[in-house]
Amino acid sequence: MSPVAGLDASLPTGHALLDALRAGDEDAFVTLLAEEGPTMLRLAMAYVGSQAVAEEVVQETWLAMLIGLPGFEGRSSIRTWLYSILTNRAQSRGTSEHRRRSLPLEGAVADETAERFTTRGQWVEPPSHWDELPEERLLVAETLGVVDRAIERLPAAQRCVVELRDRQAWSSAEVCEALDLSEGNQRVLLHRARRRLRAALEEHLK
Amino acid sequence: MSSAAMMRCEECVELITDYLDGALSPSDQVRFLDHLDRCDKCPRYLRQIERTIRLTGELREDGMPEPWRAELLEAFRSRSGRDTSEPP
Repeated sequence: MSPVAGLDASLPTGHALLDALRAGDEDAFVTLLAEEGPTMLRLAMAYVGSQAVAEEVVQETWLAMLIGLPGFEGRSSIRTWLYSILTNRAQSRGTSEHRRRSLPLEGAVADETAERFTTRGQWVEPPSHWDELPEERLLVAETLGVVDRAIERLPAAQRCVVELRDRQAWSSAEVCEALDLSEGNQRVLLHRARRRLRAALEEHLK
Repeated sequence: MSSAAMMRCEECVELITDYLDGALSPSDQVRFLDHLDRCDKCPRYLRQIERTIRLTGELREDGMPEPWRAELLEAFRSRSGRDTSEPP
């Protein structure tokens, strides 16, 4: 989450957060745990697949943060630092078996191949009209579940980017720093992820 | 605009994320917006991408296991005691 946008007013930001943590402010730490823990778990799951292993990775990350806190210079934000620790650990814990494992697909294949173009660059089958549906029709558990499951099926790197950009509203710069990506690469991953999620929604709403 | 410069749907779709991030070159931006003006399908696609982003942002947060939190809080307390220069 951006250090400046959308935070509980009681949680200090930026250097104030760093100072609070170093001073032993438990409220600041507990709030940080609550805010970032669930997202960290989801990102760890993108690499390791097993919930139990993902939880270990997240625990280790927090502990590594606590150990590194005295020496942390604050050149990046605490959050981007935290997530770079997390993704490094998750990637090294993720086995090649998991990366090869194909996750079960629900119904039709929901990926970017749902969008097809002729050799002249025109739509083979245009997008359906679900953009016209009222918001209430989409903000229901069933539809949100479709997006949730589609995110879980994304390749790890795409999943991480879309979780941080679109779910957590991080800025492009923060995501690039946390995940060690160039802006161009980050945008490609985001683009592919969004296309897949859109396709999954379209398939569900037909 | 010459027909060679006009954007086709496939390219428009490819550039959607760049557009939403404000990362299109000025000339691509002109061609992109011009295409949206002339096409009835791509604006729909753009709206769907925007809705997809909004839905992603609406996904509910999960909770954190309690024993997990307690262990970390304990680690935080014991480290903070070590870090401060004042007596406990």
